[in-house]
Amino acid sequence: MNKVCVLGAGSTNYGKLKEDIIEIALTASVEAIKSAGISPKDIGAGYISNVFGIADKQVHMAPVIMSNLGISHVPGLTIESACGSGSVMFREAYANVAAGFYDCLLAVGVEKVTHTGTAQSTTLFSYCSDFFYEGGNGASFPGLFASIARYYMTKYKADEEDLAYVAVKNHENGLLNPKAHMRKRITIQDVINSPVVASPLKLLDCCPFSDGASAVILCNEEFAKKSNRPYIEVIGSGRGGSPASVQGREDISTIPSTVIAAKQAYKMAGITPEDVDFAEVHDCFTIAEIIDVEDLGFFPKGKAAKEIREGATSRKGRIPINPSGGLKSKGHPIGATGIGQVAEVYDQLTGQAGERTINNAKIALTHNFGATGASAAVHLFKKVE
Amino acid sequence: MSEFPHLGLREKFISVARKSNILARECKNCKSIMLETTIYCPKCQADKFNLVEYMGIGKVNTFTIHTVPPEGFDDVESYAWVVFTLDEVPLRVSGFLPGIKFPSELPIGSKVQVIGFDERHGLLLHKL
Repeated sequence: MNKVCVLGAGSTNYGKLKEDIIEIALTASVEAIKSAGISPKDIGAGYISNVFGIADKQVHMAPVIMSNLGISHVPGLTIESACGSGSVMFREAYANVAAGFYDCLLAVGVEKVTHTGTAQSTTLFSYCSDFFYEGGNGASFPGLFASIARYYMTKYKADEEDLAYVAVKNHENGLLNPKAHMRKRITIQDVINSPVVASPLKLLDCCPFSDGASAVILCNEEFAKKSNRPYIEVIGSGRGGSPASVQGREDISTIPSTVIAAKQAYKMAGITPEDVDFAEVHDCFTIAEIIDVEDLGFFPKGKAAKEIREGATSRKGRIPINPSGGLKSKGHPIGATGIGQVAEVYDQLTGQAGERTINNAKIALTHNFGATGASAAVHLFKKVE
Repeated sequence: MSEFPHLGLREKFISVARKSNILARECKNCKSIMLETTIYCPKCQADKFNLVEYMGIGKVNTFTIHTVPPEGFDDVESYAWVVFTLDEVPLRVSGFLPGIKFPSELPIGSKVQVIGFDERHGLLLHKL
């Protein structure tokens, strides 16, 4: 397999955007192309991740994006895997460069949903569940994660304040991210006092519905070296699956797909969780981050809540989690999120993250899943000196 | 028998739920129990099953009460989405339980019963 590198990255602001979905995707794409110092003619393929394009009257997005970049002859495809679409698409793009099919390609994640309003967005997202058993019985996505939260809290004696610490920490990080959706400092009491969405989760336990796009340029090592631009290396890639429905899981306090994907990625990279300097993880709801950091091996099961309270996951903690602000503060344009995580890692490991830089970081992890973790991907990246 | 005997199993599941039972599949090879819509056994990959009806009564494992429901459920004043384990076999099922307003009304371990399948709201539960 060829070594695969990330040569450039770009993102729009995450939030409520007025541009249409193609314009959003193009903005991030052009930023990534410029960041990599390449021309569209260098791009051998376009990989797009998106879930609800139909809500903005556009499916089959890849040819539209390629045409607008002036490279209509370049093949593209669009990949959907619910909230994990970006990382799943990244994996496919990675595999195609690793296999030698392309020297250089564009990977773009994009989403636009805020124009649909909260009720319709809630409904659209419920279609990402195992609908016959979940959405069809009245479960929204906050509801599914709320049921996971209640299970975890019962099993490990965690409480709603434990959840709130995740939100407070990620909002603190997001204050340093100029592209974050929710740039607002919050307190534990703000979270506890916010309206209940699906008990025990409250509004400030939930990530926002966001519009946005992120893009990265992937290439082989030879291409990266010739560019004379900063780049990072992909050193591990893993994917896993879980029972699609919450009821189908033996232990509702863990997400099997994360565990599987992480083991694959660590094994491929030849490292352990202790070697990771920081991670961008899938914190769609506060409970998700607590479960993620355990499933990724950073903390034993049932111990993360206490560690998070004590600051282990803060920017200056033992294992900083979501220095970008995460889905919770940076935002969650679901087709873009997995690529946005890679863009953050690229910025961090190439010295372009400004005041949110994690000092001396050399190895970083991204983790992104679809639905309640029915599918997940984990990637590991190394700074190139 | 149809060449594709699994087709239409959701309809069978619904018809059994209307009798307050849960239709599950028992793997003929390893005896694992799973919900009827599973076509291959997750444990041994066998595709031969016995269809078994179990009483739709079980204990609550976890639940949530929605304040912001998805479309189609906004006609209900308050409801819980519940995951419970059947009393007869260690099989988890999830369903819709109307009339629950506060978490204190449904302690973990509470008993619930399937009482039907509603066209709009899915597997309908009742708290015992």
